[in-house]
Amino acid sequence: MSAPTAKGVLTTPIFKNNPIALQILGICSALAVTSSMSVSLVMSLAVIFVTAFSNFFVSLIRHHIPSSIRIIVQMTIIASLVIVVDQILKAYAYEMSKQLSVFVGLIITNCIVMGRAEGFAMTNSPGLSFLDGVGNGIGYGFILMTVGFFRELFGSGSVFGFTVLETVSSGGWYVPNGLMLLPPSAFFIIGLIIWVLRAINPEQVEENEFEMKANTQPKEAV
Amino acid sequence: MAQSNNSIKKILTVAFALCIVCSIIVSTAAVALRSKQQLNQELDRKTNILNVADLYEPGDDVAEEFQKVTPKVVDLRSGEYTDEFDPDNYSGFEAARDPAQSRTLSGETDIAGLSRQENYSTVYLVGDPDDPEQVILPIRGQGLWGLMRGYLAVEGDGNTIVGITYYSHSETPGLGAKVDTPKWKAQWKGKQIYGEGDGVEPEIGLVKGGASEKTEVDALSGATLTSNGVTNMLQFWLGPEGFGPYLAKFRGGIDQEAVNTTSTDETEGA
Amino acid sequence: MGIRQTLDNLEPHFHKGGKYEQFYPLYEAVDTIFYTPPNVAKTTAHVRDGIDLKRIMITVWLCTFPAMFFGMWNAGWQANMAIADGFGAATGWREAIVMTLGGGHDPGSLWGNFVLGATYFLPIYLVTFVVGGFWEVLFAIKRGHEVNEGFFVTSVLYALILPATVPLWQVALGITFGVVIGKEIFGGTGKNFLNPALTGRAFLYFAYPAQISGDSVWVAADGFTGATALSTAYQSGMSALSDQLSWWDAFLGFMPGSIGETSTLAILIGAAVLLWTKIASWRIMLGVFLGMVATSALFNLIGSDTNPMFAMPWYWHLVIGGFAFGMVFMATDPVSASMTNPGRLIFGILIGVMTVLIRVVNPAFPEGIMLAILFANLFAPLIDHFFVQANIKRRQRRTGDLAEENA
Repeated sequence: MSAPTAKGVLTTPIFKNNPIALQILGICSALAVTSSMSVSLVMSLAVIFVTAFSNFFVSLIRHHIPSSIRIIVQMTIIASLVIVVDQILKAYAYEMSKQLSVFVGLIITNCIVMGRAEGFAMTNSPGLSFLDGVGNGIGYGFILMTVGFFRELFGSGSVFGFTVLETVSSGGWYVPNGLMLLPPSAFFIIGLIIWVLRAINPEQVEENEFEMKANTQPKEAV
Repeated sequence: MAQSNNSIKKILTVAFALCIVCSIIVSTAAVALRSKQQLNQELDRKTNILNVADLYEPGDDVAEEFQKVTPKVVDLRSGEYTDEFDPDNYSGFEAARDPAQSRTLSGETDIAGLSRQENYSTVYLVGDPDDPEQVILPIRGQGLWGLMRGYLAVEGDGNTIVGITYYSHSETPGLGAKVDTPKWKAQWKGKQIYGEGDGVEPEIGLVKGGASEKTEVDALSGATLTSNGVTNMLQFWLGPEGFGPYLAKFRGGIDQEAVNTTSTDETEGA
Repeated sequence: MGIRQTLDNLEPHFHKGGKYEQFYPLYEAVDTIFYTPPNVAKTTAHVRDGIDLKRIMITVWLCTFPAMFFGMWNAGWQANMAIADGFGAATGWREAIVMTLGGGHDPGSLWGNFVLGATYFLPIYLVTFVVGGFWEVLFAIKRGHEVNEGFFVTSVLYALILPATVPLWQVALGITFGVVIGKEIFGGTGKNFLNPALTGRAFLYFAYPAQISGDSVWVAADGFTGATALSTAYQSGMSALSDQLSWWDAFLGFMPGSIGETSTLAILIGAAVLLWTKIASWRIMLGVFLGMVATSALFNLIGSDTNPMFAMPWYWHLVIGGFAFGMVFMATDPVSASMTNPGRLIFGILIGVMTVLIRVVNPAFPEGIMLAILFANLFAPLIDHFFVQANIKRRQRRTGDLAEENA
């Protein structure tokens, strides 16, 4: 593996090595908070903040962390950051924190944060780790925003709270799709995003576990 | 390096230092932001109350508008106001969990599915507290999936409804969740709790397929159980077990007459 | 043989290098409707059988006909009854067609009811077929597959489990979801682990609940609310249900409901053919039936003061709602069901038990068979896995050898 560059760690997690779409991490919160775009945005920012700073601090003290308690050390740092974020949101964005409810707290259990702290920050310099955290947070946020966009547009006919498709109940023509307001719809949308990403980057496709016999092929023209 | 890192002494030092630093950060954040957070919660509650009373437009100064509103704690059993609690800090919802301040509901009486009910509840008077234009009552009860919490605003006659709002519920999106859509809520304005009745048994309720009476509101289509939940919680909170005694006194306070005649008069006047 | 010749003349165009090379799957589909496929096994050991996937699917398709025709009549009859009571009839093109074909709004007229019902069912079926077929052909072309006749069955089943009044654009969305998400993304027919018709309906059920559940969607007359038998029983109890509807009426299907699900009799006719031709597994049907009987008997035994559904006996469960239709046509889908014989029985029982559980104790969903079958579909591979493993172990004990092949 070549040495990570600043630009590389910042941009690869967005499409090439997306934490949700390729590593399938952090799915739980992606289902729960994406019913509207503004909530997704706040959640993304919170995760970017936590991932970046937890990476930074873990990397800062990486030479002093005893390997036997390294996981719990990382957890403590992450948990403290999450609590700070939660408190700030409650104080300055109360509406948002009400909608995000427990999911801000659950950033602690988000595998992306832990994964980057353990997998990257433990072996890289603080500056680079910080960028890596930002990059992965953006990768997570990109999926969240995309899912949020479709769910809000089709579920409530609006984008960021602004009405785009006038719904029937307010006198328009659009019948909102109730499934989009339910968390499982995010599964479908994430699945479709993965489909698109893999169609663009075929190297992301896993190899078949077994070979399937080819179907009937068109014969040579006579 | 690794050797020294894994010595008992080093482990304890790192763990201890980390805990100190983290706890300082966390507690600083919690303490520094607490007043701001409480203000937010307060503001949120007040906005909900103003909303149901039809007093709030986006952009209004909530604190200023809320000066029209006077909270009072009411003894639900007697229907009298009480000074035992500070109305700004008392929460009936929390009191319902405390056995000393609440009672257990059972079977027949517990139609709203609460299992416990507080002895005192907060009401909000709009306008002059001695001759209020509106009174806002907190209501709650089981919907289809869980507890629904909201407010009901009633006009000074103690019978005509101004509005209803649910600020917390978990009903099905697209069906039961329509309880908080403006279109459904708009139907409530001008409906009557007791209609032509005796003013003791509330008649208000949701009916399927076209409400015709003053005491009927269109049910949510496709959400029978949420609709039943709404009807039941209104029947409960406006009946003898809930705010019934208070509302009877409330109407009496205006006309200085017996409850029964008042409600009939009010209905004809309305 | 005109058809053979025409097809043979056309064939070169669809082969590699031909004009319409990419549309080969379409040609192949048409060709094999009329004739046996040209590429048959020629080496020594192979099974000779007159039946192939296409014949199986067409048989199933024909088996739905009694339910389909009865469903059309019933949809019209229900609507005409309501219209006779003074509710508004549909207007526009439906009315025009009904009048042109000599139908009317007399609930006593067999033809009138049938035509009116057909103006609801046929557009649904047509939209299903066109939209679903579009996706099917698109994926077949893109992937170089043949178009699968499974779609014949999926489309008719899907159309039959919708209420008559469902908006056509929702029909299109639902079948799109069912075919693409329920089947094609997993590799097409034979690789789907969910029943595509039910997947499509489940999508509509959660996305647009107002148009597919509740009391006002089952009868195609303006403003008329006719609850399905299940929701009557849920809301008002068994005695209210039996006042309104006799068991025989329910068995014959004179009640509101999704188009194809109402008549248990018509469905059982189809079931008889499916069982006789051994296309559907009797084990699955038996399992579903036994699971339902056992669970409802258990609930009868427990009893409940607050929930009237506890008191519903098994013979009522059988005739109302989509139980019979699901048991005969949906649960037996050979792809998404279990493949091992004992597994099929367990799979069926799971469906029967879940159906009654959802019907009786879930407050939100009056009908349970759709979700129960989808639920069991998810478990089918697991059930199979256990029986295959048990088989391998048994063989191993007997022969002392490691089995050559792992499942």
